[in-house]
Amino acid sequence: MRIRAAVSATLASAGILLVGWQSGSHVTEAAGSSIGTSAGTTGTTGSTGASAATGSGSGSSSGTSTSGAASGSGATGSTGSTETTTSAAGAGNGSGTFAGSVSQTRFGNVQVQITVSGGKITDVTALQLTDEDRRSVAISNRAAPLLRSEVLQAQSANVQTIGGATVTSDAYLSSLQAALDAANL
Amino acid sequence: MQPISELGGSALKARTFGSMGTVISLTVPAGAAVADHELDAAVAAVERVFARLDESFSLYRPDSEASRLARGELSLREASAGMRDRYADAVGWRLMTEGAFSPERPDGVLDLSGLIKGYAIAKAGETLQSQGITDWCLNAGGDVLVMGSPVPGSGASWAAGVVDPQDRTALLSAFELGGPADLKTGTRRALATSGSAERGDHIWTAGAGGAEFTQVSVAAADIVTADVLATAIVAGGTAMLHRATDGWEIDVLAVRRDGELLATPGFRA
Amino acid sequence: MNTQLLTTRPEVRRSSRGSVNPFKGQHRRRLLRADLLTVLFWASLAGAIALWLADGGASGFSTPAGSFTALGIVAGLAGMDLVLLMLLLAARLPFIDGAVGHDRALEFHRKLGKPALYLLLAHGILIAIGYGMAEGLDPVTEAVNLWVQVPDMWLAYISMVLFIAVVVTSLVAVRRRFPYEFWYAVHLLTYAAVLTSIPHQFSVGGLFAPGTWQRWYWLAACIGTGAALLHNRVLEPIVATTRHKLSVSRVVQVAPGVVSIEMTGRHLDELTGAGGRFFIWRFLAPGMWWHPHPFSLSAEPLQLGPSGSLRITVRNLGKGSSQLARLKRGTKVAIEGPYGLFSTAARSRNHVVMIGAGIGITPIRALLESTPFNPGDATVILRGRSEKELYLGKEIMDLCQRRGATLYHLTGRRPAGVETWLPADATRSGYRLGSYAPNIAEADVYVCGPAAWAQNVLKDARAAGVREEQLHYERFDW
Repeated sequence: MRIRAAVSATLASAGILLVGWQSGSHVTEAAGSSIGTSAGTTGTTGSTGASAATGSGSGSSSGTSTSGAASGSGATGSTGSTETTTSAAGAGNGSGTFAGSVSQTRFGNVQVQITVSGGKITDVTALQLTDEDRRSVAISNRAAPLLRSEVLQAQSANVQTIGGATVTSDAYLSSLQAALDAANL
Repeated sequence: MQPISELGGSALKARTFGSMGTVISLTVPAGAAVADHELDAAVAAVERVFARLDESFSLYRPDSEASRLARGELSLREASAGMRDRYADAVGWRLMTEGAFSPERPDGVLDLSGLIKGYAIAKAGETLQSQGITDWCLNAGGDVLVMGSPVPGSGASWAAGVVDPQDRTALLSAFELGGPADLKTGTRRALATSGSAERGDHIWTAGAGGAEFTQVSVAAADIVTADVLATAIVAGGTAMLHRATDGWEIDVLAVRRDGELLATPGFRA
Repeated sequence: MNTQLLTTRPEVRRSSRGSVNPFKGQHRRRLLRADLLTVLFWASLAGAIALWLADGGASGFSTPAGSFTALGIVAGLAGMDLVLLMLLLAARLPFIDGAVGHDRALEFHRKLGKPALYLLLAHGILIAIGYGMAEGLDPVTEAVNLWVQVPDMWLAYISMVLFIAVVVTSLVAVRRRFPYEFWYAVHLLTYAAVLTSIPHQFSVGGLFAPGTWQRWYWLAACIGTGAALLHNRVLEPIVATTRHKLSVSRVVQVAPGVVSIEMTGRHLDELTGAGGRFFIWRFLAPGMWWHPHPFSLSAEPLQLGPSGSLRITVRNLGKGSSQLARLKRGTKVAIEGPYGLFSTAARSRNHVVMIGAGIGITPIRALLESTPFNPGDATVILRGRSEKELYLGKEIMDLCQRRGATLYHLTGRRPAGVETWLPADATRSGYRLGSYAPNIAEADVYVCGPAAWAQNVLKDARAAGVREEQLHYERFDW
């Protein structure tokens, strides 16, 4: 235990000093330039705290796991997520391990497990990733360059809905979708 | 596909409401299948779905769960099961898109807004189905999910137009959503479009040189996949576009900065 | 025969349950906290120097004068950081207290005294040299110039004098055994020393100039330390005193020069449990109210309905303690605490060995009453020059019989010229600590008694294979 304390303390202190040194040398290089100074010093504030946290945050361990119910998405989809298991493990604040949904992709089922510590992701591991079929996938669906005249054409009168890059509520009123909605309200 | 002009303007009815910083509209066939009061009830239910998710996931509400999480007042372990599941989903997507889609802003703050609109649309769709409504089209700020047909019983597809990023009053293309299931490719029920022009701050580009595509539309079986992959392709460029079309059952229409188009066969005339 | 062996044999020995150790988790957490404190200690020192590095301070080493000044600044930063840490160690913060114990925190506090003083002295001297060289003056002239010309510097000089006074008198007070009262009064000067040093830190030198983030960091450190002191040493005691409303109910002579003081009060059940057993008492009677007495409980607090009772047992140690025998019934009592780790909170093993000598037996009495163990898993060793010095011996024997603990009374003088904690006849027979408690290597060992005696017990325990983390020792002085 004393070794753990000594090692962590050394690492944390060295880290803090290094960060201080680093941002200090920025100050020196940018002597006379006020922009450089402020950038250098700002960087240190955040990093100093981070180094201290790294040194101290040892000692999380695994705990129990719970599994949650699944919520399937739409019935007809072929790609829809099928099940969700959430397992939470770990001790200490803000840490835990969570498993994501199993997603079906062309190259098999993918499920990932993430480890979170202090609200930040520290590790991502694939629980299932069947990659064997990837090479055999017929690459028939590649996106290829084409002329504007070659793409499926449409007039706004011929569609029931308009897709577009995210329309904010401000931009909505001048959008084609607003015209459609107005016609059908 | 049945020409829409023959259906006539009165063939559909729509309701709109605002949520998540955008406008959501629900369109159903105007026939007797859905009475007005049923439509009103359905819209109210959909509105609740959006409101509830917005309440916990939006970062612009200082009291939301996501904001408290971002400020570190709440740890993910103490967060709601829904928050943890979406977080796990988002990180899963990050892995599958090799980092092109990320639930974190460059400053490290957790931002699930890239995922949550699609999730809200999917949830709203489930709500509509549970209310016995079989034909509908839900459009949330340009992301579309449909069910059934605009002409009940006809098997006709919903036609979704895609806005031209260079002229936002014109359509670049259209895509048929819903309709009869295709055994080979599955049914595309969802169309999501992501752009670097508007609200570009929602998509974090890996390189410093700016996005390769100004607009990417992805059609998929479910709206979350469509939405996430559209976002990822804008962020990850051509490499991500090919990874996406290789890995998932989707159709993509991507518009390059110079106006050039890239499209999968589904978007080809 | 001076050595008595009083064994209360448990009827059934349930050793099968020994495999489950309920203290493992608390022990691991406590070690983690102790390690975390070590890290924070060094990180804060590194942080203080990083403040200066981040300001480009290292560039000062390019000239000889700059080098002196730079070293002086670093010494000042590190010295002030140590002073703040010393204050925090003495602030009785629950986090520190629960991790390493009140007495060990104070031990560390004492150890920092000299390094802090040396750093602050070096700060003054090096700066005077560095500034002097830059201006072509000798250090003494420069020091006078600083005093006269630079605002706030005269306060800094006063601060330096006060710091020297505090550290020197503390060291002398400990060695010469000055009365506690004297030492206490001198220590109040520390606050004056710290406060007078603060203005020049912010007004002289550019590191903490207005608008720098370093200024905010340093301000936060100073204000945070002050707030911690104010909260834990002023507000908390006032709250505890008004909540428990303790008053003396009985003063009983236990042995010549030793009295038990029984007190009644409210909500005393809140003081039971795994927490510390050490309080600072002030008896609010004329001539006594200002004098804080550090004593441990000698009986667990007992709460019956609205009124509860607790007890301390005190030996006539100094002028202050002798007044305690004459305390009147109904005297109001102010308390600070509980502090310390001489309690169940420090447990790490199933087995427990409790060793007390003289007045140090009394905290053992309270611990024996409350700490959990299975019959047969506890050993109590009481040490005194004679049977009369085994204070509360009867009570302890009753408790041992009731709870199934093995009890030894060890009486008699220690052999001349031999460093041991045992009586002469036991030493002649070759007894060691392990002779009384064969499974001591697997036990928590609580030791309470005079410092020199306790050191011998601890040495014996270490020789018997007890690890440092299993040793719990309460110093019975301040």
